[in-house]
Amino acid sequence: MLANRVPRILLGLAAASSAVLTALLATAAPVQELGIGLPRDVSVDGHRIDWLIKITGAFTAILFVIMCVWMALAVVKHNKDHKAEYDHGNAKHQVKFAAALSAIIFFVVDGNLWVNSTIDVSSAFWNFDMVEQQADTLRIEINAHQWAWDFRYGGPDGKFNTQDDIVGMHELRVPVDTPILVHLASTDVIHNFYLPNFRIKQDAMPGMVNKMWFQSKETGEFDIACSQHCGTNHYKMKATLIVMSKEDYAKWAAESSAIASRAYAADDSAAHWGWEWQSK
Amino acid sequence: MELQAIHKEPTSFLKRYVFSEDHKYIAKQFLWAGLLFLAFGGILAMAIRWQWAYPGQEVPAVGKLLLPRSGGVITPAAYQSIFTMHGLIMIFFAITPILIGAFGNYTIPLMIGARDMAFPKLNMLSFWFFVVSQVMVLASFGVQLGTAGAGWTTYPPLSTNVGTPGHGQTLVVAAVFVTGVATIMGSVNYVTTVIRFRAPGMTYMRMPLTVWGLWLTAILNVLFVPVLGSAALLLLMDRMMGTQFFIAGAAGGKGDPILFQHLFWIFGHPEVYILILPAWGIVSDMVCFFGRKPAYWYKGSVYAMCAVTILSAVVYGHHMFLTGMNPLLGQGFMLLTLIISVPAEVLFLNWLHTIWKGSIRTTVPMLFALGMIFVFGLGGLTGVFLGTISTDLYLHDTMFVVGHFHFTMAAASFLASFAGIYFWFPKMFGKQMNQTLGKWHFWGSTIFITLVFGGQMIAGYAGQQRRLFDPYQYTFLKHLHPLNTYTSYAGFALGLFQLIFIYNFVASILSGKKAEKNPWQVSTLEWSLPSPPEYHNFDVVPTVIRGPHEYANPDAIKLLGRDWLSQTEILPEAGAVAESEVTAGAAE
Repeated sequence: MLANRVPRILLGLAAASSAVLTALLATAAPVQELGIGLPRDVSVDGHRIDWLIKITGAFTAILFVIMCVWMALAVVKHNKDHKAEYDHGNAKHQVKFAAALSAIIFFVVDGNLWVNSTIDVSSAFWNFDMVEQQADTLRIEINAHQWAWDFRYGGPDGKFNTQDDIVGMHELRVPVDTPILVHLASTDVIHNFYLPNFRIKQDAMPGMVNKMWFQSKETGEFDIACSQHCGTNHYKMKATLIVMSKEDYAKWAAESSAIASRAYAADDSAAHWGWEWQSK
Repeated sequence: MELQAIHKEPTSFLKRYVFSEDHKYIAKQFLWAGLLFLAFGGILAMAIRWQWAYPGQEVPAVGKLLLPRSGGVITPAAYQSIFTMHGLIMIFFAITPILIGAFGNYTIPLMIGARDMAFPKLNMLSFWFFVVSQVMVLASFGVQLGTAGAGWTTYPPLSTNVGTPGHGQTLVVAAVFVTGVATIMGSVNYVTTVIRFRAPGMTYMRMPLTVWGLWLTAILNVLFVPVLGSAALLLLMDRMMGTQFFIAGAAGGKGDPILFQHLFWIFGHPEVYILILPAWGIVSDMVCFFGRKPAYWYKGSVYAMCAVTILSAVVYGHHMFLTGMNPLLGQGFMLLTLIISVPAEVLFLNWLHTIWKGSIRTTVPMLFALGMIFVFGLGGLTGVFLGTISTDLYLHDTMFVVGHFHFTMAAASFLASFAGIYFWFPKMFGKQMNQTLGKWHFWGSTIFITLVFGGQMIAGYAGQQRRLFDPYQYTFLKHLHPLNTYTSYAGFALGLFQLIFIYNFVASILSGKKAEKNPWQVSTLEWSLPSPPEYHNFDVVPTVIRGPHEYANPDAIKLLGRDWLSQTEILPEAGAVAESEVTAGAAE
């Protein structure tokens, strides 16, 4: 009896260890130079997404390896010289086994995804109430058009579409360690505001204002990308996010706002693309 | 259920070879039309891969011919047309005609014991509407401003005159509408034929799983292609009549771009299953046919496919998590999407259990079926990342999505299509295909298709957005150039390996060995007929007495000396066999 079981146990161990090995490889630290890892995360909440991707990667890698080993063993062991078993697989214990295994996989892999996604989305990524209530939140309006991003800050009066608004293009300057609340719209077609180092993106829809928020842990320059096909020059619709220290940002904001007020022209209607801030 | 009369074979050239109403001939017409466009879509894919490996460099060999104005270099405008048309051609004009048009037409009547489709004339019209739509697609390349460029998803306002003026985009949207008409005609036929013309004894639970997959697909088509049709019509009105259903923003419209996305994805997500259900069905049958074992928990597979069919209609919102969707609605769509993994797991377990303890024959169709399980495993497992809101925040619209849906919709249906072609080729053409070349084709296809789409997923994991003319414009993507180049090499190799298939396919038709009636020794009805079958299929409509996968039956082995029983075969009594053998021996 035991002699019969030994190879089976060994095979099982081999399958399990290769599954675990693959899972470890899948979760190992990204090797940036080879281009196979996530971009560096500089946001306060991005680690939630990275963790969920990696743990699910490990789960799915285990399942995939088990499937491959199962198939390979079947093809090798149960080849044309093996006598096929006459089995319709519809006995009660077989059906129960299949149903139970499917249920376990579902509750572990999908259940983990559902629970964590629900927590992350409602407590962080889409928790706009929290950001609205925070005193130091910086509000910014972003308007997308073919093929550039326009940025608008409320200025000292905190109101949008007024004389002291700072309006910019291609460069978005924000302070570090501060929640940035973005209201996002588009002039012409659908665009998508994408911050790879912050793990988030949001569609910019013509005729609609969408929301997103992010907060940086580090100063530095990061890519802003468009990830919705928006025409021939979609690939060039990029901008730079410049995260500054709080002091530097305050200085820049004060200077820029003063310049903006001086340069304000009431009849330059193209420059007045902003809208009144809707906090709800 | 009713018995069909025997139609007389027409004698005029037109009715025999052009406007044929014979489902077997229409199937071949769809196969040729689909394979030609598969090659076309494949060449477009090669152009995309060229651009990502060597951006801004002249396309070798054909560049100057196809892109004379830019000196053979792919321009941003040409590039957006190339990826748009690659997607549309592959989905609507290559995979759909092969999986549904060719296999649906060929196998359904033969496998359920019918003499033809329920509506032969409608079937013929379905093919010719399809040809019209293909011609419209080809014509769109010749008009001013070129063909469509708004992506295969055709999101407005980009797909309206705001983003893509010119007749090319209009023609392509109209072509999608016309091909939808063709699909509905075909699907009405399939649905009716299965309900009305199953042979006596062919109960639903005795149908081959291929037929189940094709039938459920036809039901989804009948229900959801009209939704796509309505979206296409509204878009055409926006483009041609000055309406503003989908136009908003500075263009002045008060329309709703998101409305289009709802309509598109109500169709679009079932479409994913429309393309995969026939593949699942074919693979479910193959693993029994060549595992020489009955289907493991046949009913479980049927229920799983039915569950997927129903669920496919209520998960489409996961394509729209980032449109500004109400979070609670997103939450619901996420849950429903994740639930789809349960029936998929049941199917996988059934396939694996079927081959386990079998007596596996690694024929070419079986290899392709196993390859399909492999790539669909990759595609299915990576889907959960995209059905979940928080991980989709990062992965949405990246190459990870592209890799995922290529593994499911492209690789899986591509390999299943080849499983089907190699399997039914002897029946369709009465000739055998070369098995050695087939095995080369299998290994080349499976290895390189995995590398191509795997490379896409890795690029997406590193953050690369889809549909970029030149990804290396972005600082955070510059280091992906080597990866994308290697992926392109795999793509080119995948393309080259298809030449083996083209040669094998054509050479076998012309000079292949004559095929026997039942070269695979399998039990379904079509293999009880000569290869190729008579015009009216069955002289006598057979009476079915058992399910489609009767292998390794100990009685059959004992009494008949073979491991399979056809669906109509009455197992002789133990004594009767011995007696007949005695008589046969005496006669000799």
